[in-house]
Amino acid sequence: MRQEQFVARHQREWSEFEIWLHTRADARRAQGARNTGVLGDDAMPQRYRRIAQQLSLARRRGYSPQVTTRLQDMLEQGHQVLYRTPPVRWRAALEFLMAGFPRLVRSEALCMWVALVLFALPLVGITVLLQYRPELIHAFMDPVQVAQMEQMYDPSNPRIGRDSGGDWQMFGYYIMNNIGIGLQTFASGLLVGVGSIVVLVSNGMTIGAVFGYLTQIGSGGPLWSFVCGHGAFELTAIVIAGGAGLQLGLHWLAPGRRTRGQALVEAGMKGARLCMGVAFMLLVAAFIEAFWSSIASVPYLVKYTVAGVLWSGVLAWLWRGGRNRVDKDGDAR
Amino acid sequence: MRGPVLDTYREVITPEGVALQLPAAGPVPRAVAWGVDLVVRIALMFVISLLLGLLGKLGSGLTLIAAFLVQWGYMIVLEALWHGQTLGKRTMGLRVVLANGAPIGWPAAITRNLLRVVDMLPFAYAAGLLVSLVDPCARRLGDLAAGTLVVHAERRERSGQAPVNAVFVPPATLRPEEQAAIVAFGERAPRLTPERQAELADLAEPLTSARGPAGVLRLFGMANWLLGRR
Repeated sequence: MRQEQFVARHQREWSEFEIWLHTRADARRAQGARNTGVLGDDAMPQRYRRIAQQLSLARRRGYSPQVTTRLQDMLEQGHQVLYRTPPVRWRAALEFLMAGFPRLVRSEALCMWVALVLFALPLVGITVLLQYRPELIHAFMDPVQVAQMEQMYDPSNPRIGRDSGGDWQMFGYYIMNNIGIGLQTFASGLLVGVGSIVVLVSNGMTIGAVFGYLTQIGSGGPLWSFVCGHGAFELTAIVIAGGAGLQLGLHWLAPGRRTRGQALVEAGMKGARLCMGVAFMLLVAAFIEAFWSSIASVPYLVKYTVAGVLWSGVLAWLWRGGRNRVDKDGDAR
Repeated sequence: MRGPVLDTYREVITPEGVALQLPAAGPVPRAVAWGVDLVVRIALMFVISLLLGLLGKLGSGLTLIAAFLVQWGYMIVLEALWHGQTLGKRTMGLRVVLANGAPIGWPAAITRNLLRVVDMLPFAYAAGLLVSLVDPCARRLGDLAAGTLVVHAERRERSGQAPVNAVFVPPATLRPEEQAAIVAFGERAPRLTPERQAELADLAEPLTSARGPAGVLRLFGMANWLLGRR
């Protein structure tokens, strides 16, 4: 068939489809309005397939770019409509937090344990070390930082853990700083996992230095009572972010029976979903840190009790969450 | 079917068995788009901090939260909700799509934007630039991990109709790609200057056995014949 005849025969079909794309393709806009066009919404997939067939005909017969480009445009837009990802629902988001996320964390248990060791070993090691050799703090921090730290956790300070700034200001600061660090811990895993290892170990060392030194000089009370509450969320979130980075590097290094690209994409998607959970945990941590942990007037006993509840809550959530439900991880994404 | 073409098209076979061509965008338009986004983000932060600055300490806390959201969320939210385009990408006519040509959803948008951190290493997106120069589809590391691709969204404007004049039967049987070339000439030549038309038509002298305007007219005639106007 000659091109002109071909175009004349299908012209009506094509313009109908183009009109449909203009008026109906955007789900949000199309929601309220009624479909007044010739082409019904339910007839669209069928029309799309017809146009797909016409495009391959046009290509095989060597019709001019004018025709094939138009068909290709229509197909591309139709493809975008037919294969778009479903919109996010709040219920699904809640389900992800309660069940999907803990399940996701457990599915990468090995990486999470390794991340925990990488983080906790330097932390505990240096804390203990500084009890016997407190002068070693100068290997980790310069004197200005040490002085600042001493002042922040001074037992006579009315607000623990800060030298200035109100609750809201610190809330904002914690969000920006901590969540940023958490996300970077994950992202640096793309460097074959090395980045995550470095971030985990160096964070463990710094925190260990702070803990060890302040405990040694007698500021342990304010410090531990300050950290114990939000630490439940913050420290676990850092470990999970590190684990997410490690699994990214691991899947890249050892893709198994997939292509390297495929393995990387799967690990990347998994990491992104882990990061959503990590960001949520760090958000909660920032809230607790700004509005609860810093209050110096609360007796230590209350602080430690609350911290105990929070820690067991977080651990139970990660350990048991989503176990009693049918595994439907596939459609959760 | 076609010989090797020097181009950045990535062909994707849809479930309907049709090859979609996705024109991958190179580092330069993407860098410009990123620059536009940077300006937008700075302006946004400037306005936000001016407004929230009136609220004192609460305001400075909120400003920090806003800074975090703008820094990490701007690209993610726009790409996920606005058909894979940020403001910068829209000005440059770019769009992020999944490797199979489908629109990107939240997980892909989050992945590719979180991993920007690595593409920025060690400075000024050097890692991302290197990887995108090696990758045939100019993807950076974040794109590789998210399975996404940045394509040129704007199509070139549609060319006009071939002018209807005489119909001229080609003296020899033409191969399909030769036919397509003549038809394409018929449709695109009206937008060119007469001199350029003649220059192009001269290339087909063995076929038209004419030069200059006469050759152009003969080629138009052949295009009409091939289009089925007789």
